[in-house]
Amino acid sequence: MRSQAMFFKARAGDKLADRQLQANLGKAKSRFVEGRAQAVVDYDAAPGADFEALRDAASAIRDRVLANLDVWLETFEDKARARGAEVLYARDGAEICRLVVDIARRHGVTKAAKSKSMLSEEAGLNEALAAAGIEPVETDLGEYILQINDNEPPSHIIAPVFHKSKEEVAELFARTHHTPKKDDIAGMAREAREVLREHFMSAEMGISGANFLIAETGSAALVTNEGNGRMVTTLPKVHVVVTGIEKLVPTLEDFSTLMRLLPRSATGQRISNYVSVLTGVKGEGDLDGPEHLYVILVDNGRASLVGTEFEPMLRCIRCGACMNHCPVYQSVGGHAYGWVYPGPMGSVLTPLYTGIENALDLPHASTLCNQCGVVCPVKIPLPELLRKLREKQVDLKLRPWRERLALRLWGWVAARPALYGFAARTAVRYLNRRAGGTDRIRALRAVPDWTAGRDLAAPEGRTFRELYAERVGHEGRTKR
Amino acid sequence: MTKEKMRVGLFVTCLVDLMRPRIGFAALRLLEAAGCEVVVPSTQTCCGQPAFNSGDTRVARALALKLIAEFEGLEYVVVPSGSCGGMIRVHYPQLFADEPAVAARAGALAARTFELTDFLVSVLGVAKVPGDFEGTVTYHDSCSGLRELGVKAQPRALLAHMPGVELKEMAASEECCGFGGMFSVKFGDISTRIVDRKCDNILATGADAVVLGDLGCMLNIEGRLRRRGDERTRVLHVAEVLAGED
Ligand code: SF4
Repeated sequence: MRSQAMFFKARAGDKLADRQLQANLGKAKSRFVEGRAQAVVDYDAAPGADFEALRDAASAIRDRVLANLDVWLETFEDKARARGAEVLYARDGAEICRLVVDIARRHGVTKAAKSKSMLSEEAGLNEALAAAGIEPVETDLGEYILQINDNEPPSHIIAPVFHKSKEEVAELFARTHHTPKKDDIAGMAREAREVLREHFMSAEMGISGANFLIAETGSAALVTNEGNGRMVTTLPKVHVVVTGIEKLVPTLEDFSTLMRLLPRSATGQRISNYVSVLTGVKGEGDLDGPEHLYVILVDNGRASLVGTEFEPMLRCIRCGACMNHCPVYQSVGGHAYGWVYPGPMGSVLTPLYTGIENALDLPHASTLCNQCGVVCPVKIPLPELLRKLREKQVDLKLRPWRERLALRLWGWVAARPALYGFAARTAVRYLNRRAGGTDRIRALRAVPDWTAGRDLAAPEGRTFRELYAERVGHEGRTKR
Repeated sequence: MTKEKMRVGLFVTCLVDLMRPRIGFAALRLLEAAGCEVVVPSTQTCCGQPAFNSGDTRVARALALKLIAEFEGLEYVVVPSGSCGGMIRVHYPQLFADEPAVAARAGALAARTFELTDFLVSVLGVAKVPGDFEGTVTYHDSCSGLRELGVKAQPRALLAHMPGVELKEMAASEECCGFGGMFSVKFGDISTRIVDRKCDNILATGADAVVLGDLGCMLNIEGRLRRRGDERTRVLHVAEVLAGED
């Protein structure tokens, strides 16, 4: 997917002006935020259960993997191969596309049924398949909606149509399926299922992501709320898993620890409707399963983060809690961010995966309120990572020269108390003049964005240091 | 022999110095009323947070060093701001992670630095405040104070000592007001959308005043309330409420 992250500010402006979107965002937000909060309360209500301790345990599992990623990858590879899977590596999106198209050609595939995979978004896999004459069909309901809506990109990592209302989907379905407009979600889901069933039966290849890879068993785990993941991974003869190298966990036990966190953090569910652990190809006597299983392990920038200050980002288990709780995401939605991953985790990942210079706004598009960090199930210090990216921008001289100069100048003055005192007194008097005897300033050229939406209260008239010096001087004199 | 008074350094913060000196004097009165000897280093300017959050660690370090030197000799440092308090307590030690000698000094100062209401409650155990505010208030939990310093119960405990104050909690009091320092200057329109939600929640309580502990949030929320035409809801720093009129 080509990144539009450079245009964050302008895109965010459009999203703020989109009334329908604003209404949709409000509803979706409260569902997820309240859902998670309740799930945590319920979890902690059980004797001896402590959600905080669970978060610590999960972070430790993820860190254990990252500390020896190569070793765990080898373990996974060995185990998966022993069960008949072919394990392949892809350096970047282009390589993913090449590998998948090659596999499809080898097996004479004309149609591929897909379950949700953010990596296929990173790679632009659907376009590559289509270009090779292979029809990709998204079978996750949300992804399906986006595909029939002219391949619209997802706006959320677990709820791709977070930005859409029921009514919008109903109209889209009526238009695309030539059916009467429905007004209930169940009815729409049924309609989609009927369309998709034919694709499931006719697709020669299934493509899925993986929420986790389990090293000790060589399995890929899939966490979904729709049955489509099961269909995609068992009906077609060929199954291709495309996933990031960081998705590894050492053991099934570790997987179960993470599963206590993932659905609760994501949707507030105790457990998702489906949890599938897929191991190897269809064995003798097995009733279903793919005859050919390929696992494509993708780097696309991940390995370069290992051992750096950004390594904690690789702990991410893609639950979406950070965006659900982000006041910026709640205000502009996912599309404003311009690439595959939105919200706080996206604002960290997009510059790291697509180039710092290609996403200059994103690390700044945060109030650093840390509503994300406190809900992240694997305790990723997202505000700290955003701040580190800001540091990188300064170090690489990527900030506008005016901003850099202003900061340096301000810093220089602030280090000199007498000069600073003079500057502050001058500023206060200037601001008071601008207030023109009232208690507020309605427009200030130095901060046009600020005063476009709010007034600036006028200062009191004199600085604290001025008044305090006067008071102390006065007391000093009276004492004498 | 009378017990020696606790020597407390007051860092008023650059925004208070510039915009609302009365918050600084209110903090001073509260500390003095609680029996502290308050020292206000006259050379203080800014803690360096704007530079730190903009990614300019060089400037941030210089200002941090300056503040550390100014306050090092004092028993405690008290700050009427959660975000500046968080800067000193949480981020100063990180800033000097690769200079152990300075990091030790930063760490020592960090351990003695408190947000104002936290200090009054957790260190001094204050149970009486001079303010005589009368009316209903709602409390906005500023992000850094809440999530970096654990300031939540302290201001409420202090307000509970004021017989004329009735606290009416707003919905989502822990949600960000959208200020974010330079964020509100760079992305004013997004910030406005966020602060609108905060204003809705404030107004829904019908409180006479929204009370909070950070001047940044205060300017943002007050500015937006007034721009929306609300002239009724007062926006007050918790120190002003607790200390009363001079
Ligand atoms: S950064 Fe944390 S909260 Fe955000 S998606 Fe990843 S695991 Fe979930």
